[in-house]
Amino acid sequence: MLELDFLQQYRPEPNTWDEMFNSDNDIRQPYQKIINYLSQESAEDLNKKEELARKLFMSQGITFTVYNSGEGIEKIFPFDIIPRIITAHDWEIIEKGIKQRLKALNIFLKDVYSNMFIIKDGIIPLEMIYSCPHFLREMHNVKVPHDIYVHIAGIDLIRDFDGSFYVLEDNLRTPSGVSYMLENREITKRLFPDLLPQCKVRSVTEYPEILYRNLMAISPRQISNPTIVLLSPGIYNSAYFEHTTLARLMGVELVEGRDLLVDNQRVYMKTTNGRQQVDVIYRRVDDEYLDPLVFNPDSILGVAGIMGAYRKGNVAIVNAIGNGVADDKAIYTYVPDMIKYYLNEEPLLKNVPTYQLGNPDQKEYVFSNIGQMVIKKTNGSGGYGMLMGHIANDDEIQTYKSEVDKDPRQYIAQPTISLSAAPCFFNKKLYPRRIDLRPFALCGPDGIEIVPGGLTRVALKEGSLIVNSSQGGGSKDTWVLAS
Amino acid sequence: MLSRVASNLYWLSRYIERSDGILRMLKINYASSQDALQEFSWAPVIKIYSRLEESKIREIEFNSRKVLLYMFSGSDNLNSIVNIITLARENARSVQDHIPKDLWQCLNEYYHLVKDKRLIQLLQKDDPTSVLDELIKQVMLYYGISEVTMERGEGRSFMNIGKYLERSIQSADILDIKFSTSGDDPDLLTSASYLKYLLLSIGAYDLYLKTYRQGFDAENILELVILNNDFPRSVLYSVNNINRYFERLKTNKDIIEFKELSFQIGRLTSMIRYSTIGSIEQQGLHIYLGLIKKELYSIGNSLNVHYFANS
Repeated sequence: MLELDFLQQYRPEPNTWDEMFNSDNDIRQPYQKIINYLSQESAEDLNKKEELARKLFMSQGITFTVYNSGEGIEKIFPFDIIPRIITAHDWEIIEKGIKQRLKALNIFLKDVYSNMFIIKDGIIPLEMIYSCPHFLREMHNVKVPHDIYVHIAGIDLIRDFDGSFYVLEDNLRTPSGVSYMLENREITKRLFPDLLPQCKVRSVTEYPEILYRNLMAISPRQISNPTIVLLSPGIYNSAYFEHTTLARLMGVELVEGRDLLVDNQRVYMKTTNGRQQVDVIYRRVDDEYLDPLVFNPDSILGVAGIMGAYRKGNVAIVNAIGNGVADDKAIYTYVPDMIKYYLNEEPLLKNVPTYQLGNPDQKEYVFSNIGQMVIKKTNGSGGYGMLMGHIANDDEIQTYKSEVDKDPRQYIAQPTISLSAAPCFFNKKLYPRRIDLRPFALCGPDGIEIVPGGLTRVALKEGSLIVNSSQGGGSKDTWVLAS
Repeated sequence: MLSRVASNLYWLSRYIERSDGILRMLKINYASSQDALQEFSWAPVIKIYSRLEESKIREIEFNSRKVLLYMFSGSDNLNSIVNIITLARENARSVQDHIPKDLWQCLNEYYHLVKDKRLIQLLQKDDPTSVLDELIKQVMLYYGISEVTMERGEGRSFMNIGKYLERSIQSADILDIKFSTSGDDPDLLTSASYLKYLLLSIGAYDLYLKTYRQGFDAENILELVILNNDFPRSVLYSVNNINRYFERLKTNKDIIEFKELSFQIGRLTSMIRYSTIGSIEQQGLHIYLGLIKKELYSIGNSLNVHYFANS
């Protein structure tokens, strides 16, 4: 098979799990069918497919706008045409593992905002919770519908050199990317006609229906047609495309803060027919911008008084406010302990070993082994504010160290994990690039459901380990096989 | 429907209608400029659609390519095609869940087309008519798609109100400027070619020939463009349609606001319906058209306050 011209240059990276090739340089069985399919096409054909993909994204407006000197430039989130494949067996592990993890995290949120048993029993130190900027006292003893805090979760998974899955981080606030899971699949249907059914790929299209059902179920008013809205920061937000897609697919109203008002602790939207009461808000606005009366007073994205309506139980907000305390990178270290404590089970998915720099011993260990470490801010995201020890120079390390010393609690360190690599097509050839995986889990009163698939992010730069879209990352369609 | 959504749909529709008017005007006037023995002045066209200062108009009015460029992509021209299509798309973007996906894609493609740098090249160096035709085709696609796919509901009513309000303002503007600028040159109003291109530029040429048999005459043109209810760009036809789509918004709730607007629109309709060419001339065309425009603006304003929650 290696005589295919676009496969000629493919060299699996050393000490890395390659999704397509096994250690004997043979193509893994799940990738066999797609390679057979590709072998009937020339590199030129594949190039055309890549162009077609770009055109489809552009004309459907699956874009975000970058504002540069007053002029808006439309960008597409880079898409690699070769799908990433997950076997039925691997998926089973992922699915069970995420369900277990979310169950524990949900109980943790309920606990931390009410009785705090986990602190009283000494599993997590009190200062860990109180020092977390996303722990909101305003949430104490707020009753949320069905005790569900995390309605939508994006759990980031990576694979180490031996192929085993690790949880890199939990995204429990407003995880994004699900529209790309849906759109990437639609594009793949156009690029590789008939290939999906041949490979027995499981469908992801159910996602909006499940989410809609869950949103309906948590309406505080017991009425047949509750008003559900999706609250977006507006068209200048880079995820705006996702907001419109989800609103359209669920048939709910897409609103901005200025469309809502609060009166007598109820939320209403301003319509051409006067006010209409809102029951459920799927918000894509961060906690700190949600209510200028309680949080950031300068916010114009939120709705004044919404927190009062929420505390009163007159409106359901998805995800719950204050979830940041559970996906904080320092709290992350305690998730395996939470699983044991709340569920009395062994964690099915491993954590990446993590050192708290707030702990002097651990900090010393990390600093003396800094070449093998990645240091991150506990509340950072988007791949910013990180130090990659294996490529940083001495100056960078020194500046970073002194930055850390100012407030060590705000930093954690993890040994550099290499991330698995998957084939990507550019310049008419296939090259290995590092990937991660973000499956999307939905929690409703009937339990947790995970659509078979997710967002595979790719670090498009050679050798890069950063897959975030803000730092030159792209995405791939993610296939979960039925058998 | 959310007030903001209603407002976005209304403005989306107004901008598209405006782009249609501008493009047709440019296309016919360019053809006319190729036909002219004397230097062809673009001044009236620039005045209808932009707020360019008199001195600046004088700088470019005889240079077709410069005018085309200014009207198409002039960044300081609020009504340049590039600017209004960008605005139309922004409005559409925030109501994507209220318009059919096909319509959004069509608009999006229209936007990417006007942003294509190639067009500027063509407008400057090549045949401008092909460029204008390509753009007009996008608008036609938009109208076709919205006719076939748009839900017959509140949203469409707001879009149609926007469309016909824009159209009636444009028709009144065109008449006002075309007939009043000719004041300096009384021969213009009897010039067959001037009148012919005026008719062509608003798509009234065929209907005019079928309706009037005695050649081109300014009074007949006025009658057709203001009072003929069969001509889709006439002021009367447009105002009748504003009325028609506004009546569909009637519900039990907003009775006071609804009545106020309904009254305004009804009064305007009657004012036009019960005019004749004789009464218009007696009053003075410029004053008459001014009154109509004032009423149209105040309808737009009332919509803003009562329906779009922008008080």
